[in-house]
Amino acid sequence: MMKRFALTLPVAVSILTLPACQPQETTEAEPAPAGALMDLTGRVMGTQPGPDRPLIEVDNPYDSTPNVLQEGRRLFVWFNCYGCHGGRAGGGMGPSLRDATWLYGSADQDIFDSIAEGRRYGMPAWGTKLPVEQMWKLTAYIKSLDTPMEPEPPPPNPVYPNPPPRRDIPGVTAGGGGGG
Amino acid sequence: MTETDERTNDRHTGGRHAARLALLAAAAGLAAAPAVAQDVEYVTGGDGSGNGMRIARTAAAGPPGEVWLPTGDFANSRYSELDQITTENVANLQVETTWSTGIPRGHEGQPLVVGDTMYVVTPYPNYLFAYDMTQPGFALKWKFEPHPDPTAVGKACCDIVNRGASYADGKIVYATLDTNVVAVDAEDGSLLWKTRLGNVEEGETTTMAAMIVKDKVIVGNSGGELGVRGWLKGLDLDTGEVLWTAYSTGTDEETLMAGEQFEPFYPKDQGEDLGVSSWPPDQWKLGGGTVWGWISYDPTEDLLYYGTGNPGVWNPDLRPGENKWSISIIARDPDDGQARWAWQVVPHDAWDYDEIMENILVDMPWNGEMRKLLVHPGRTGFVFVLDRVTGELLSAEKFHQATNWADEYDLETGYPLVNEAKRTHLGQTTFDICPSSTGAKEFVPSALSPRTGLLYIPAHNFCMSYKAIEANYIAGTPYLGADVVMKPGPGNYKGKLVAWDVAEAREVWRVEEPYAVYSGVLATAGDVVFYGTLDGWFKAVDATNGEELWKFKTGSGIVGNPITFLGPDGRQRIAIYSGIGGWVGANAFESISADDPTAALGTTGAAADLKKVTAPGDLLYVFSIPEQ
Repeated sequence: MMKRFALTLPVAVSILTLPACQPQETTEAEPAPAGALMDLTGRVMGTQPGPDRPLIEVDNPYDSTPNVLQEGRRLFVWFNCYGCHGGRAGGGMGPSLRDATWLYGSADQDIFDSIAEGRRYGMPAWGTKLPVEQMWKLTAYIKSLDTPMEPEPPPPNPVYPNPPPRRDIPGVTAGGGGGG
Repeated sequence: MTETDERTNDRHTGGRHAARLALLAAAAGLAAAPAVAQDVEYVTGGDGSGNGMRIARTAAAGPPGEVWLPTGDFANSRYSELDQITTENVANLQVETTWSTGIPRGHEGQPLVVGDTMYVVTPYPNYLFAYDMTQPGFALKWKFEPHPDPTAVGKACCDIVNRGASYADGKIVYATLDTNVVAVDAEDGSLLWKTRLGNVEEGETTTMAAMIVKDKVIVGNSGGELGVRGWLKGLDLDTGEVLWTAYSTGTDEETLMAGEQFEPFYPKDQGEDLGVSSWPPDQWKLGGGTVWGWISYDPTEDLLYYGTGNPGVWNPDLRPGENKWSISIIARDPDDGQARWAWQVVPHDAWDYDEIMENILVDMPWNGEMRKLLVHPGRTGFVFVLDRVTGELLSAEKFHQATNWADEYDLETGYPLVNEAKRTHLGQTTFDICPSSTGAKEFVPSALSPRTGLLYIPAHNFCMSYKAIEANYIAGTPYLGADVVMKPGPGNYKGKLVAWDVAEAREVWRVEEPYAVYSGVLATAGDVVFYGTLDGWFKAVDATNGEELWKFKTGSGIVGNPITFLGPDGRQRIAIYSGIGGWVGANAFESISADDPTAALGTTGAAADLKKVTAPGDLLYVFSIPEQ
């Protein structure tokens, strides 16, 4: 039986050049049970729906520091993300990014992939237009929304002063960043 | 041409037999020679009229008991001569049938009724349903699926809406969200032709109701929030071939304003290539002026009328100049698209006041002289009355008193007197601008009754703060340069139905609503006015005084337009969509978060409370008074 390794190498190499990157650890997986079907990457195939292709699991090389988040916020406005997703990412032409729903997954890599590759209903693919580091900073900003870390949180909503908590991220207190 | 100043009562209520005869006659006429001069009849207020209004109607609009046009008639009056339902009996209205379309997004627009069939176009993916009205509950005859490009979903600024279809010559014609126009066989639902008009990847979409004028299909584009260049096109009804394109910006050759026939009334709108020279170099190529509202047509002048949307980019300091022909009302020849006149309503817009609103064509005495008027209740908060032959502005009065971006209009020059304190500028936030970008009314159409002489305006009451910021043009993404937050305007209401006396240019009465009034309005010869509310009430009020006569709670907020028609049994029906959505209504969706008032281009600050009173829906309702 082959041992299964998380496929981190290609991206790990590419992000080693980034300033705040953290070393990626290869984790050794449990051996697959006898007779298990595996996909092309050596992962055990399950029956749960999943992404279109095996994800390369990478955490954001950037920590959610104020500088990184502020830069992510700047890029969010600069590249017109706010026009579709709302001035503070509350949605509009595109879906809200500050609610509890992650249409394409909540992992850093999922968010990065949505930015880089685009999505079917009109989300542009930015992967050939933006440096990788900018997409990671956008990812960090998006994950900070409606948390105490959110830079430039939205002003209070006059017609909805106390919106219910929308986000449930383990280890993060919801609602601290915005909503008045 | 024949003129019938007063239609007999039989014509008002002649039932299905007369309606069918008229239908057959009209169909035969269309098949033989679609472009011949049209016989014009005039709808008047009859005995109920004190103001001398008359509205032209031709056979191409269908018999009074049917609805062939998204606007009801070419004049955009949304007045029906049907009078079986009256102020006396409207309280007896009951639901006759409902249908779910399966698409719980904004159901703007209205059904068509042709013969015994009702046609419904849904929001994206733009299904077309045909219902057999002779069967109990309106049995489904067929469903047509155009399969538009899903990319369009993320390019449409304000929900994935469709404002309706048109019928002529055996064809149902409408635009799909991805800038295709389809003609569908009205009998069997087969595709007759399909023509792509624009480029979704660059942000173009189509949401307006395609309008059939003579043998042409008239369609414009949406996408003014994405730096697209606006246009109106004329297509061959038989083949779908694009016969002419009139851009809203560019040279006179491209705007079809080159001929000697083009005679704007005001000096400010006269000159060569204003669609280029009123912009910084090349900015006109991203200049907006999209055409996503309603088309009117005057058969006596053989002119169509429409309005254009906001200039691109939103931030005004990035585009010095008057930015023609954004936010303009334009008259064109439907055969070749050549412009006759144009009047720019708002030069150098700083607020996103698209003026694509309905242009209602009515003849009436004006200062003692019978004139051909164009009445335009505007997003800007004014009701404009123009001479539709010359383009002269005869009157501009505020129907929404909180309006503060301009004090008044100079009728000599055609310019607004702008309140410079409310003009937005790069790097600063301008507070308490009224109305907000959504206007004192949106595209939702008014109705005009020649019986009361009143215009019934579906209005709302939002103000905004507007911070203009730098903007980058990236094809297929929003091109704004603005951080907008809306909020309820002064007074304890966010919506109202305003009854406006056109002759005297004043409000006669109004009905205030807790939420924006974002549905169209229907006025009938029974002196009943119908409209819907964002919290789902469908209401009938007395056309003379606004007294509530009947209401019904539908399943979702109403952003569609009521219609009335005669069923196969000759009895009058009322139909309305119930399915919240659109720029304001989308705030009821889960995908927009209440804790960001800047969401949905700023409407969330004024409309997030819709989440508490309604939810997405997808329903068609048909009402009638049960047989005794």
